[in-house]
Amino acid sequence: MATIAPSRIAKVLPGASEPASSEQLIAALRPWRRKLTIQQVLGWGRAGLLTGLILASILLLVSRLVPWATALYWAIGAASTGLLCALALALWLRPSLAGTARIVDRRLALHDRLSTAWEFQHQESTLATLQRRDALIQLGKQAPTRSISLRPRRSFLIIAGIVIIAFVLLLTLPNPMTAVLQQQAAFQARINKQIAAIERLRNTIDHQTTTSPEERKQIDQILKSLEAQLSNAKNETQAQQALAQAQAKLSQLSNLQNTNKILANAAASSALQNSSNAALQALGQALANGDSKALASALKNLASQISKLSPAQRAQLAQQLEQAAGQASQDPTLSSALHDLAKAVASGNSSDINAATQEVENAASQTASATANQGSIDQASQSLQQAQDSLAQSGDGTNPGQARQGQGQGQGQQGQGQGQQGQGQGQQGQGHGGSGGGNNNGNKQGNGEQVYVPGQIGSGSSSQTNGGNNGIVQPGQSVPFSQVIQEYTAMAHDAIDNSGIPLDLKDLVHGYFDTLEGQH
Amino acid sequence: MAKKSENTSSVEKQLVAPQETIDDDAINHASSEEASTEPTVADITAFVETAQKLERELTSIIVGQERVIRELLLALLAGGHVLLEGVPGLGKTLLVRTLADALSLKFARIQFTPDLMPADIVGTTIVTEQADDTMPSGSKRVFSFQPGPIFANIVLADEVNRATPKTQSALLEGMQERTVSVGDTTRPLPSPFFVLATQNPLEMEGTYPLPEAQLDRFLLKILVNFPHAQDLMRIIDTTVGTQALRASKVATGEQLTHMIEVARAVPVATHIKEYAVRLLLATHPGNEDAPEKVRNFVRYGASPRGLQAMILTAKVRALLEGRFNVSQEDVQAVAFPALRHRIILNFDGLADGITPEDLIKVIVEEI
Repeated sequence: MATIAPSRIAKVLPGASEPASSEQLIAALRPWRRKLTIQQVLGWGRAGLLTGLILASILLLVSRLVPWATALYWAIGAASTGLLCALALALWLRPSLAGTARIVDRRLALHDRLSTAWEFQHQESTLATLQRRDALIQLGKQAPTRSISLRPRRSFLIIAGIVIIAFVLLLTLPNPMTAVLQQQAAFQARINKQIAAIERLRNTIDHQTTTSPEERKQIDQILKSLEAQLSNAKNETQAQQALAQAQAKLSQLSNLQNTNKILANAAASSALQNSSNAALQALGQALANGDSKALASALKNLASQISKLSPAQRAQLAQQLEQAAGQASQDPTLSSALHDLAKAVASGNSSDINAATQEVENAASQTASATANQGSIDQASQSLQQAQDSLAQSGDGTNPGQARQGQGQGQGQQGQGQGQQGQGQGQQGQGHGGSGGGNNNGNKQGNGEQVYVPGQIGSGSSSQTNGGNNGIVQPGQSVPFSQVIQEYTAMAHDAIDNSGIPLDLKDLVHGYFDTLEGQH
Repeated sequence: MAKKSENTSSVEKQLVAPQETIDDDAINHASSEEASTEPTVADITAFVETAQKLERELTSIIVGQERVIRELLLALLAGGHVLLEGVPGLGKTLLVRTLADALSLKFARIQFTPDLMPADIVGTTIVTEQADDTMPSGSKRVFSFQPGPIFANIVLADEVNRATPKTQSALLEGMQERTVSVGDTTRPLPSPFFVLATQNPLEMEGTYPLPEAQLDRFLLKILVNFPHAQDLMRIIDTTVGTQALRASKVATGEQLTHMIEVARAVPVATHIKEYAVRLLLATHPGNEDAPEKVRNFVRYGASPRGLQAMILTAKVRALLEGRFNVSQEDVQAVAFPALRHRIILNFDGLADGITPEDLIKVIVEEI
């Protein structure tokens, strides 16, 4: 039964006349507040450190599953941040005196005596004074040092011990991802080296006077884009793909913009060389050789002959020039210049002839420039091919299986793309072989062999070069099918014999290749 | 200290109006006109001593009902009315009668029956002969007010749920306003004024359950439980012997009124008030803090009178526990008797056999 507790009240009532001021209450609460603050700082600090260590252990665990070079720093940072944040929060949110009163009430089971006394600390009524005195008496029975323990709980110690052991183990045991990280670092170094080489190449091309500014700008953009792609490349495959794409762009630039001019020049020169007129033959020879001096001399001879020719001879000469202009239709500038020259020859006007010859010289000069551009593009393409080779060779030593496989796939795709391009050119009757940048691809196609692929329509041809050391467009070379099929058959037989294919299926495949071999 | 009673009938008055006509001016107006004064140390000392004596007197006679006695004291010292509920024979009436014995107060018992009329409680105006020399007959007939049994300090409304609602409502004004209106005259009731009503939860046939409005006027509803075996042994020893125990007077009405004032002066911290408010609001199914059980089974929550009841009785409890401040434990302890009759269950709650005690327990645990 709950009974009235006169003993408690009896202790308070005789002292009712004694002062129990708010200052006494504050003075009594201060040591408790200090102790509670220390306890909070220690407790929160321990909890913050434990949280930080748990987080750090998780980070270290993750770094063992995925390559993460800076995981250790993050782990140390997490542990330190947890501790510092907890300490800062503990100090920032340290209990006020009112809060201390409530906490001490709760911990010492004082039945809200202190918090009520704190709230009515400035009241001087009898009950408020008695209440304050009662609170002070009850508080005086306890000491902060005895009542507030700074020792952590046993459960906390157990958890902390487990976490610390796990953290130390994760720190000390060898990380299987270290080798991967080293490979990545080596790869990054190679990439940086290649980027530096590309940068040097950009500078070189930028200072080449033989290349037109527009062409230099386009090449520079391609190389700049390549640099960015290489910087963002996560692995060797991506780097190789970026290099192959840049090569393809360079090749495309070369093909689309300059090939027509060169072809037109060649066609016009051929037509002129077939002429019976010696001056036109010399002109055609000069155009074919791209010799500007010879061209100027030939044009001068032609101009000097005009005045001596009869109108009929001039008309014949003009007709031959017109035919050459027609042959050079793919280069509008050259075609127009030859056409103007033909008209001037037909008219016999010396001033028109001089203007037309000058026009032909300019057009021939542009064609020569295009040829020079082709040289710059070839230079860039060669450099990129060297970069690819360099990456592939370095990759062989570090991550042979994975890197070579990726490279092979990338090169295979590139070679295929170029082959399709060559086929398209062939359909127009002027097919040029696309260049494949393949180099030791993953399957057994990369043995440096060339397979002749004839143009389907027209006279063009394309070549898919597997294993070439550069990206220069090369004319297709014919390899006999019998030689190719023998090599493939031998490889197929070896592959089948070394695999786990059942015997009956092996015989089937052997028979298939034997059948193919026998067809030629 | 208990002592033998030689005249038990002098205290108990069953449906007996006061013998003398009460003059309106003679009625004690103390509570309404006195200004509140700051209690002194002597007042507090007197409170503690008197309460201790009173509790001792009651526990010496009422065996095995310590909790009921404590809750009855809480209501008495808080100046509120009490509804005692329990099966017959548990000593409800004896408890109230013993309390009246221990206090030098006017006690009246009203046995509520279906044929009880409001006038039987509040009194009525009757024609009486009054001496008058000017009249040839030497007297004249005048109307005078005959006060009912409600004009007492402690009124025992026994089996209050057996009277008709009309009669029950006769208590309403007296309990809340502490005045009685008869005819065109409103008469104040004596101070202190306590209504201690009892009801039997079993025999519900032919009864009229108290309406919620009237239930709300009781400060506490105290459940009288069946005593334990050990207490039953003590009951045998104290009640079937040759000597009848009787409580001795330990306080007067004036002392009791003063004790009520002392209890009201106990300080309550803001966070305790906030806690009491949260408890009260949690009894309302529409409140966001209300527990799931309250939302499912409560139709109406407790009224603000419930909050007043909790704080008032918690103050008294604090003093009885030897403290000068109200604690959270005080509020939790008084929440059950203060709120149980103010929580109205819905159909699901009634059908599932949920009791207000279950809900208050959940609220106290969750809030």
